[in-house]
Amino acid sequence: MSKTHVTAIINGDQTEFLTEDGTSLLNALRDDVGLTGVKEGCGTGDCGACSVIMNGALNASCLVFAPEADGATIVTVEGLADGDHLHPLQQCFLEGAALQCGICTPGFLVAAKVLLDKNPNPTETEIRYALAGNLCRCTGYDKIIRAVQEAASRMQEA
Amino acid sequence: MSALGQSLPRPDARDKVTGDARYPGDRFPPDVLFAFIVFTDQPHARITRLDTAAAEAAEGVVAVVTAADVPVNEYGLTMFDQPVLIGPTSSGRSAVPHDVSRWEADHLAVVIAETEEQARSAAALIESDWEALPLVADIDAALADGAPLVHPEHPAQSNAYHHLVITKGDVATAFERADVVIEGTYELPYQEHAYLQPEAGVAYVDEEGRITVEVAGQWTHEDQEQIAHALDLDLDAVRVIYPPIGGAFGGREDMSLQIVLALAVRKLNERGIDRPVRSQWSREESIVGHHKRHRGRVHTRWAATKDGVLLGVEATSHLDAGSYNYTSNKVLGNLHLTVAGPYEVPNAQLDSYAVYTNAVPGGAFRGFGGPQGCFVSETQMNRLAAALHLDPVEVRRRNVLGEGSIGITSTPLPAGVSLPEVIEECAIEADWEAPPRPPAAIGAFASLPPTTEASRRGRGFACAYKNIGFSFGFPERSVADIVLHGSDDADARPTSAELYLAGADVGQGAHLAFLQMAAEATGLDVEAITPGFSDTATSGDSGSASASRLSWMTGNAILGAAEEAEKAWRDGDRPARGHFRYTPPPTEMLDPDGRTPTTPNFAYGYVAEAVDLSVDVETGHIVVHDVVCAIDVGRIINPQQVTGQIEGAVIQAHGYCLSENLVVIDGRVMNPRFSGYLIPGIGDIPEQVRSVMLEIPDPRGPFGVRGMAEMPLMPYAPAIVGALYDATGVWFDSFPLTPPRVRAVLRAAGVGAS
Ligand code: FES
Ligand code: FES
Repeated sequence: MSKTHVTAIINGDQTEFLTEDGTSLLNALRDDVGLTGVKEGCGTGDCGACSVIMNGALNASCLVFAPEADGATIVTVEGLADGDHLHPLQQCFLEGAALQCGICTPGFLVAAKVLLDKNPNPTETEIRYALAGNLCRCTGYDKIIRAVQEAASRMQEA
Repeated sequence: MSALGQSLPRPDARDKVTGDARYPGDRFPPDVLFAFIVFTDQPHARITRLDTAAAEAAEGVVAVVTAADVPVNEYGLTMFDQPVLIGPTSSGRSAVPHDVSRWEADHLAVVIAETEEQARSAAALIESDWEALPLVADIDAALADGAPLVHPEHPAQSNAYHHLVITKGDVATAFERADVVIEGTYELPYQEHAYLQPEAGVAYVDEEGRITVEVAGQWTHEDQEQIAHALDLDLDAVRVIYPPIGGAFGGREDMSLQIVLALAVRKLNERGIDRPVRSQWSREESIVGHHKRHRGRVHTRWAATKDGVLLGVEATSHLDAGSYNYTSNKVLGNLHLTVAGPYEVPNAQLDSYAVYTNAVPGGAFRGFGGPQGCFVSETQMNRLAAALHLDPVEVRRRNVLGEGSIGITSTPLPAGVSLPEVIEECAIEADWEAPPRPPAAIGAFASLPPTTEASRRGRGFACAYKNIGFSFGFPERSVADIVLHGSDDADARPTSAELYLAGADVGQGAHLAFLQMAAEATGLDVEAITPGFSDTATSGDSGSASASRLSWMTGNAILGAAEEAEKAWRDGDRPARGHFRYTPPPTEMLDPDGRTPTTPNFAYGYVAEAVDLSVDVETGHIVVHDVVCAIDVGRIINPQQVTGQIEGAVIQAHGYCLSENLVVIDGRVMNPRFSGYLIPGIGDIPEQVRSVMLEIPDPRGPFGVRGMAEMPLMPYAPAIVGALYDATGVWFDSFPLTPPRVRAVLRAAGVGAS
């Protein structure tokens, strides 16, 4: 099968990989680039575990073909922290017990980052709307909402 | 400062927020092959031919494993009634015929190839011929006269293969004396676990020659035993490791790909190929391919005085066990103990049956039969209150089990019965005596403005008890090891410790609880304790992460190990080792007619919930405004983690009650995707969930701890049904309460539709 050569800026680094046309960006990121923080919960766009930021917008990477990422700028959960220094969202999820099994966590963090980048001071309703594409089976969501609120207020103070 | 009662962060949290945590599906060791597990896709049929030649010759394929490769072709957690692989020939021993597929997700073969795509396309080349067998679609079909047997080899010679009885007092006289009789038939739905991480694993031969499987499960040592049994190996030739686990909720209690991955490695090994093998199921394969919370039906009658005091309970319950037992016999036991409620019932006749069909197996799921029993008992109790114009809380005060009460099996409950206190706390926190609030505006569709016109508001109450740990004579035990380190000085105190145990952290935070308890027991800081968890090569058998047992059982094991280590320390040992195997007080199995007084459990947990909702009687949409969950946790180890369990369980219960509608027709799951099987999203949940934690110590619990992770799931559905009655005057005897069902039942009762 013919392979497509993809070049993208992933988490700040120029990254190249070879992929087949039918491969999802999710599988390419996990299998070829080694970014296994991007999770597969469904493969059908229903759970948000595979969320990445592509050219500034939230995307379910399971619904994107890998070749579409050519030339794109992509941020995954692995790109949120600044070295050892966690992003405030990561810190607040950790401190606020906004995760249990943690499989949904990368997707929630990425979706919440897209929200806070656009709207630094969201209401609870806005947070719920922004995270409506992400499923969590463990936490019951309340601690996730609180963690996003807490991160927003810390980022405002900073 | 005590290590207990602190909201310390989870040890795995950092890796989970950075994406560094490697779950079983995230492991890509060098040279790894992919194993694709082929399902039979036959709910009931006999295989007459299997030809894998074309698949084996396909590009990238390294090997194909079939029934002929399985040394002992049988498995099962509580009975060996399932073949590992279905095939016309099997060289191995098996208690169950290996040439019959009884479930659409029975395994037919394992195709091992260089890539997942190659393995999947080669699987399509497998040829097989099948002879159809009569399908047993559901409980009705299974119980019909002359129904074909799903397991003709089972000694019961009936699809209703497991029967439990409780006979207490004189139930006929109780009904004669009754002022009021409440009768109901309840249809209980399936529930899918929907852990966000589908089944995945990697297997290889480790440096000591052991067949090693890294997988997400709930009980390392049980997985190890079942793998060793099927592969006919010594236990220590098999190693099971649990990396971070993406949720479980009971759904990983039974085998999924553990045995077949081990078989794949063994087959490669026989051919001199030393390469690791990985596998991962899609969401669809996960939903089709693992067991569910049982669907079932219960017919029951309750007799009471005009003051609402229970005189007797009759119940006949059937659970659809599906094609294999899994844990159905045990789940049935829990239903059996909860179906008459957490009440003093002087006279009872209870008959409970597990029934084989060709549907998906029923098995463990948070609550383990308790949610089904509780739905029945609490709806009955709320109906009794309504029939007598009694307050739902007051009627419970008159019947609830308290300290010294005789339980349904005619023995006193273990000391520390706190349900009366839990009920009162719940009522206070929910402001139960307050007048009803006005209906809230509901906007069922984004395109329409919310209105109050068709909206009705109501409140509901329910409570529950549930056993902690395995019941009915199971040899419960849990092992922990502690090693204390520090200076040789005779007066020195230890400065650090190692803690070894196998209890699985399925996401519930068990490992953090272990560390906090070990810190408390040794007087060290949590950071000074190095964990060695969840590897059969290094830790003893801590038992399963289920039955709300892990903190309770393993906490007791940690306490014992700490004491042993402390003794060794005082004797001058450096390092000082403590090994402890905790066994709780023994329990007993019911006798066949259920008349002999029996102690089925050694500990219980207690919970009550009050809900406040509005329902739109035109559209059938429900909005839950407030949930109060009061639960006695005995002693709080970590407040944040405990409220996390409560909130998570309540939201799972919300899905069970309102939206999760698994459709199984003729042995096939019709909606195995999140687009059709709707678990609650962040926009679907109650407006608020309030956790009320009581700390009335369990006299047998470590530091007073009680198990708690399942209980909050139990009373939610009946509390919602009680609130719906309060709002509309209509009872619901089945769920999920999807808008079409709510609408239809209300219409049939003449409510709504102007
Ligand atoms: S894996 Fe992409 S949305 Fe679920
Ligand atoms: S923490 Fe497990 S799915 Fe969200």
